[in-house]
Amino acid sequence: MSDITAPMGGKIIDVKVKVGDAVNEGDEVVILEAMKMELPVAAEESGTVKEIKCKNGDAVETDAVLVVLE
Amino acid sequence: MEIDAKIKELKRRNREAELGGGQKRIDQQHAKGKMTARERLDYLLDKGSFQEIDKFVVHRCHDFGMEKKKIAGDGVITGHGTINGRPVFVFAQDFTVFGGSLSGMFSQKVCKVMDLALKNGTPMIGLDDSGGARIQEGVESLGGYGEIFKRNVYSSGVIPQISVIMGPCAGGAVYSPALTDFIIMVKKTSNMFITGPQVIKEVTSEEVTPEELGGAMSHNKRSGVAHFAEDSDKAALDRVKELLGYLPQNFREKPLSIECTDDQKRTDTSLNEVVPANPRLPYDMKKIIGTVLDNNQFLEVHEHYAKNMVVGFGRLNGRVVGIIANQPKFLAGCLDINASMKCAKFVRTCDSFNIPLVTFVDVPGYLPGVNQEYGGIIKHGAKIIYAYCEATVPKITVITRKAYGGAYLAMSCKHFDGDANYAYPTAEIAVMGPDGAANIIFRKEITDSSDPDATRAKLIEDYRNNFASPFKAAELGYIDDIIFPENTRPRLINALMTLQNKRATIPKRRHGNTPL
Repeated sequence: MSDITAPMGGKIIDVKVKVGDAVNEGDEVVILEAMKMELPVAAEESGTVKEIKCKNGDAVETDAVLVVLE
Repeated sequence: MEIDAKIKELKRRNREAELGGGQKRIDQQHAKGKMTARERLDYLLDKGSFQEIDKFVVHRCHDFGMEKKKIAGDGVITGHGTINGRPVFVFAQDFTVFGGSLSGMFSQKVCKVMDLALKNGTPMIGLDDSGGARIQEGVESLGGYGEIFKRNVYSSGVIPQISVIMGPCAGGAVYSPALTDFIIMVKKTSNMFITGPQVIKEVTSEEVTPEELGGAMSHNKRSGVAHFAEDSDKAALDRVKELLGYLPQNFREKPLSIECTDDQKRTDTSLNEVVPANPRLPYDMKKIIGTVLDNNQFLEVHEHYAKNMVVGFGRLNGRVVGIIANQPKFLAGCLDINASMKCAKFVRTCDSFNIPLVTFVDVPGYLPGVNQEYGGIIKHGAKIIYAYCEATVPKITVITRKAYGGAYLAMSCKHFDGDANYAYPTAEIAVMGPDGAANIIFRKEITDSSDPDATRAKLIEDYRNNFASPFKAAELGYIDDIIFPENTRPRLINALMTLQNKRATIPKRRHGNTPL
């Protein structure tokens, strides 16, 4: 199990996966808006999406868990 | 004894020494996926080039029955050889002998080759695989480490020092690699920590495995202590050879230039599109780095740490350059504590060894946040400024997009005696981004207006057109030229060739006092 976390504080503007999706290392799972840019957050390991803990429009802090993989 | 018998005895002693701790321990080493110290040196050095020194040294301990157990070599193999024809001095800790633990005589052996390396201006390469201090030797073991650390420091910036962690490296032993220029670790079979999992558990009740605590990826990703993580002993040793190719023998020489087989004038129209038209979209700075370097070859250093900063070695027209670049894909390319340390360390390493600096800039600023402030971004961020101002090697800078505020200054600006400072047409060189600036400068117009949102949007757009561009900086001479992205490689090579004989100094003093 691994957590994909927010690298910095910002706003979620796109969630690109749903529960059950297979994800490879490097795949973008969420787009985070911060520092006036649209930043992709990518998986650091391969896995399957177990839980999505954020949705479009959420304000998140650094290290907030966004997606849980197994 | 007759001469024949003496020769025979020497051959016997050589064979015995070469077995180290014995075949059984050699087999144990192999079973763990590790090479022996001798096998590693044989792989690292050019065939037949290795000359061993102090093969018959034994320890002098008379406590705890140690006098009955003496093994020739005493746990470390020292000497010199060549790598791709270049002389190097080496030591390889031998885990089969007393667990590779360090004694007074072990240290004496290592100090001898370190002294020779320093006197002869020759790189020093250490292969670490050791249980640490030999407890039976007591304080003499500590003294042994002390002598080694001192020599690491005296050699720092004089000769390249490369450490390869190929097994355990614990306690005080870690300080020798920590004082060297580069640390390469082998995944799964090597680790480094001051206090190990057992003691941590006793003192703080935290539970952690050796690999999690101080394995290759922990030190590459989390602590930034190590610069490379390799899959095997052989891969780690190959990395040493690759790295050495970019470094000179010592600080009085430049790295070896090689014949350039890639057209100096090669342009690349794909560069015109790398920076997206939409300033909100990130891109991969490594695409720019890759295409401008000779044959697309880039040895990234510290790849897994502070990914918002990219550093590494490459060549332009056959000559070695140090590349530093913000990476917009991570943290929007912001400078933070870790990126600041990664950058400053690499800049100083290059400056130590006459390697010109080529910096690509796309940085919206320093990362905001309470963690950064409490963590001391003020002093860590200052390290970049210190490193660039102190550096007297040629400094070439290309601003590809954003260069805002203090970060514009930190990233090798003209004011720090940059030799060649260029910008792409997409560059935005400003005190801050248009949104922030317009809100401050035009606060009254916006609040007084009948449609604040529309007014704000227009003023932001005006600011973007007038100030978020390279032209103001170019008009001031803060940028030497605004270049067409497709010409980046020829322009860099052109600048580099005019700076080949650059000599610059900064005021003399005992030594500066860099923020630490």
